[in-house]
Amino acid sequence: MSVSPQDIGIRAAVHLLNRLGFGPRPGEARAILSGGLDRWVREQLDPGADPELETRLSRLSTLAYPLSQTVALYGAEDQRGLGQVIDEFNTAKVIRAVHGRNQLQEVLVDFWFNHFNVYIADGFARPATPSYERDAIRPHVLGRFRDLLGATARHPAMVYYLDNYLNTVARSVGGGRIVGGINENYGRELMELHTVGVDAGYSQADVVDAARCFTGWGIDNLRSSGSFVYRPVAHDTGAKSVFGLTLPAGGGQEDGERLLDYLSRHPAAARFVSRKLAQRLVADDPAGSMVDRAAQTFLATDGDISEVVKTIVGSPEFWTEAFAPVKPKVPAEFVFSALRAADAEVTTARGVSAALQAMGQPAYACVPPTGYSNRGDDWTNPSSHLARMNFALDLAAGAVAGVAVDARAAVRKAGGSAEDAKIAAAALSADLFGRGLSSETTGALSRVAPAGSPSVAARVLGLTLASPEMQAR
Amino acid sequence: MRWDLSRRVFLKGAGLAAVGVGFHPSSLLVRTAQAAEAGTQVLVQVFLRGGADGLNQVVPYGDPDYYDLRREIAQARPGQSGGVSNLDGYFGLHSELAPLLPLWQDGRLAILPAVGNYGLTRSHFDAQDFMETGTPGIKTTADGWLDRSIARIAGSEVTQAVAFASVLPRSFLGGEPVLVAQNLATFDLRARTWRTEAETLLRAMYDPRTDAQGQVGRETFAAIQALARSPGLMAAPANGAVYPTATVGSSLRQAASVIKAGLGTRCIFVNVTGGFDTHANQLAANTNDYRSLGQALAAFATDLGRQLDDVVVMVNTEFGRTSAVNGSGGTDHGSAHCMLAFGGRVRGGRIVGRWPGLSRADLHEGRDLAFTVDYRDAFQEIARVQLGIADSLFPGYTPGAGPGIVA
Repeated sequence: MSVSPQDIGIRAAVHLLNRLGFGPRPGEARAILSGGLDRWVREQLDPGADPELETRLSRLSTLAYPLSQTVALYGAEDQRGLGQVIDEFNTAKVIRAVHGRNQLQEVLVDFWFNHFNVYIADGFARPATPSYERDAIRPHVLGRFRDLLGATARHPAMVYYLDNYLNTVARSVGGGRIVGGINENYGRELMELHTVGVDAGYSQADVVDAARCFTGWGIDNLRSSGSFVYRPVAHDTGAKSVFGLTLPAGGGQEDGERLLDYLSRHPAAARFVSRKLAQRLVADDPAGSMVDRAAQTFLATDGDISEVVKTIVGSPEFWTEAFAPVKPKVPAEFVFSALRAADAEVTTARGVSAALQAMGQPAYACVPPTGYSNRGDDWTNPSSHLARMNFALDLAAGAVAGVAVDARAAVRKAGGSAEDAKIAAAALSADLFGRGLSSETTGALSRVAPAGSPSVAARVLGLTLASPEMQAR
Repeated sequence: MRWDLSRRVFLKGAGLAAVGVGFHPSSLLVRTAQAAEAGTQVLVQVFLRGGADGLNQVVPYGDPDYYDLRREIAQARPGQSGGVSNLDGYFGLHSELAPLLPLWQDGRLAILPAVGNYGLTRSHFDAQDFMETGTPGIKTTADGWLDRSIARIAGSEVTQAVAFASVLPRSFLGGEPVLVAQNLATFDLRARTWRTEAETLLRAMYDPRTDAQGQVGRETFAAIQALARSPGLMAAPANGAVYPTATVGSSLRQAASVIKAGLGTRCIFVNVTGGFDTHANQLAANTNDYRSLGQALAAFATDLGRQLDDVVVMVNTEFGRTSAVNGSGGTDHGSAHCMLAFGGRVRGGRIVGRWPGLSRADLHEGRDLAFTVDYRDAFQEIARVQLGIADSLFPGYTPGAGPGIVA
C-alpha cells in the first residue's frame, strides 16, 4: 500500500495534533492541512477566542465562582454545593480537551498544573483547586515563567498543599512556650520540583533558608475567604543564603519574591523546565541538544514560555517520530485522544473520571508534589492497558457515562462506510493516522463480522481506539 | 518474526514460551506445576510512599530524649490513655498498630527501627528511585532490585510477580513481566456481546508486534487467561479475616488470594499511598494511615493461616522523618526509617539492629535518626531466604550475612 503526498501531509497534521493537542478529530487533520499547518501552529501559540467552547461551558455555572465563594461552600453544612463545584470543574477539563480549539493551551494547562502539582482531595485544596487552575495557571501557560511561578507561590491552594501557611518563625509566647517553626515542605519542593531540580546541587541548608524566605506567607482563614495574606510577625527576618543568593537581615515578603526572581532566572531552572516541556512535546527522553537550545531561549527571553515552545517545535527532533509515532500516551492523553477520535460529545466527566482512575491517572488527584510522570513508557503496564482497551470498546459502543458517541457518524466523517468493515478501517487509518495503521491492524479491523452487536462501525471504531497504534503519539 | 531477546521472556526454564504467539493454556498448567516444585516461598513488599515516620510507628518511649524531641506529637507510654502497646520495655507499637501485637508475641514479627542509607537523600523521588533500583546516589541504573530478583527465579509466568499499584513500581523496572493490577476480580475484557471476536482481533493486532506495545498487549492477554483459570481468586477471606476498606486492605486481600490460588507467584508488591508525608498536623494522618495499615497486615496474616509459613512480608518506606517536631505539629524529611518484617521464616519477637539513640550527638546532621542497618542488607537477606538468591542484588555492593531477620 503506497503512501501519497496527501498522506504525508495528513501525517504531519496528525503529528501536530498529537503533540500540540490531544489528537485529531475525524476530518480535522484534512482541515488544518488545507488551512495551512504553519498557520495552525501560529494560532495555537497565540490563542484567540473560542465562542463555541464558551457556550458549552456556560451551562456549568460554578466555573466562574471566585475563591471566596467556593471556600464558603467548603465551610458550609451542606457539602453538595462544593460537590457541584468539583464535578463541574472536572467536566470542564474534559470538555476543553475534547472540544476546545486552543488545543496547545489545554495541553499546557495540563502540563503546568502537573508541574506545579496540587492534590485536589486534601481539605482546603478542594475548594481552592478550581481557582488555582483558572487564576494561577491558565493565564500564564504561554507567558513568562516568573509570572506563573509567582502566581502559584501566592495562591492559597499551593500555600496550603505544601504547608507553607504553617511555615512561620519560631516565637516565644511567654511562659517558656515556643509556637511556630520552620516547615521545609514548600522551600524544598520549590527548588526540587518547580525550578532548578534535584540535581542542581543545592544543600540541606539551602532548603532551610529557602523555607525561611517564605515564612509569613499564609492564608487569612480556611473556612470563609481563603485569601493569601502575608503576616509580618510570622516572618523570619534574619539573613539568608539560598543556593548562591544572599538576602540581608530585615527583609519581609520580598525575601520570597527575590528568591523566586533568582530561581526563575537560574540556568538550572531553564534547563530543568525546558527538559520537561520537551519531554511532554517531543520524547520521553528528549535529545540533549534540543533541550540546550530550548534552555538558551528560556534564558535569552527571560522565561518566555511561548518562545521556548517555538524553539522546541522548530527543532528537527520535533519531527523525528512524525512518521513512526513511538512516544506512548499517558492515560489522560489516551483518553482525550480517544474521545476526540470518536467525535464524542461530552456532557459530564463521570465515565471519563472512572476510566482515568482505573488507568492510574485521576485528574487533579496526584498525591505527591512530583506530579504525574510525563514519560509515556512509565505508564505502560497490563492493568492500565486492559483499562484502555475496555474504555475504547465501551466508548465506541456509546457506553461511557456522560459521553455520547455516534460511531456510524464518526466513521462517515472520517470518509468511510459505516457498514463495510474494510472500507471503515481504511478510512480511519487514513484520516486519524495518515495511513499509519499496520497491515495486521487493518487486517484485523477488516475481519469484523458484517452483522452483530454493537454495530459494525462501533466495533471497528472501538478496535481502532484499542489498537497498538492508538497507544502512541 | 524476531523476538526481543533482552526481554528474556521465552528463554527461561524448560524453553516453553509463557507469553506471545504459541502460547497454549496447557503449557501454563505445566509451568505452574514446575513452579510449585521449584519453590513456593513468597516475598511480599509493602512500600509506604511518602517517607513514613518510623519514630511514630514503633515508638522508642524508653529513650531519654524522645519526649523532648517530639513534644506535642509524642505517643503516650504503655498503660496511658492512647498509649503505645509495649513491645519490650523500651519500644512500643503506635496504638493503631496494636493489631500486629499478636504477631510479635507469637515470634513472627521482627522490627528494624533504624534502617536506611544516607545516599538515599531526602528527596521523595530520588530516595524512592535509589531504594528501588538499589543503587543509592546512582541515577543511571536501568533496572529495579525486584526485577533482578525475578530474573533469577526459574519460570516466566506473567503471574510470577504481581504488583498492586497503578503504575509499574520502579523496583520492577526491567525485562521481567509483572502483572500490575488494581483489581484482579475484574481483570477481563468487558465486550459483553462480542467478547470472543474482540479478543481474537485484538490479539491479531498485538501478538505479532516486537515493540513495547506488542509486549504489553501480550502480557495483558496472558494475564487475563491466567486469572480466568483461577476461580480461587474470588474466594472470601479465610479464618474470619476482615480487611479495612482502604486500598491497602483491598491490595493485601488480593495478595493473599493470589498466594492461596497457587499461581506460582513468588513476589508481590503492595504500593501504599496515603498521608505519610506528614509535614504538618501529623497525629491525625498517622492515626488514619496506621489504622488501615495495621488492620490490613493483621487481616493478611489471619487470612493466610498456615500458609503464612511460606511468606515473608516486609514493610518499608523511602526515608524516615526528623526526630524533632517542626513548627506545624509535623516532621520533615529525615533519614533512617522503621522496617517491619513478619512471616514464616522471620525470627520474630525481636528488635533487629542497634538502636542508635536520639541524643543530639547520636543524630545524623543533628536532626535525623541515624541508620544502623543498611537497607540493602535487609532486602538481600529476605530475598536470599525467600527466593533462593545467592548473588548480590545490588550493583556495586556486596551485602553481608544480613542483620538476622530471617532464619
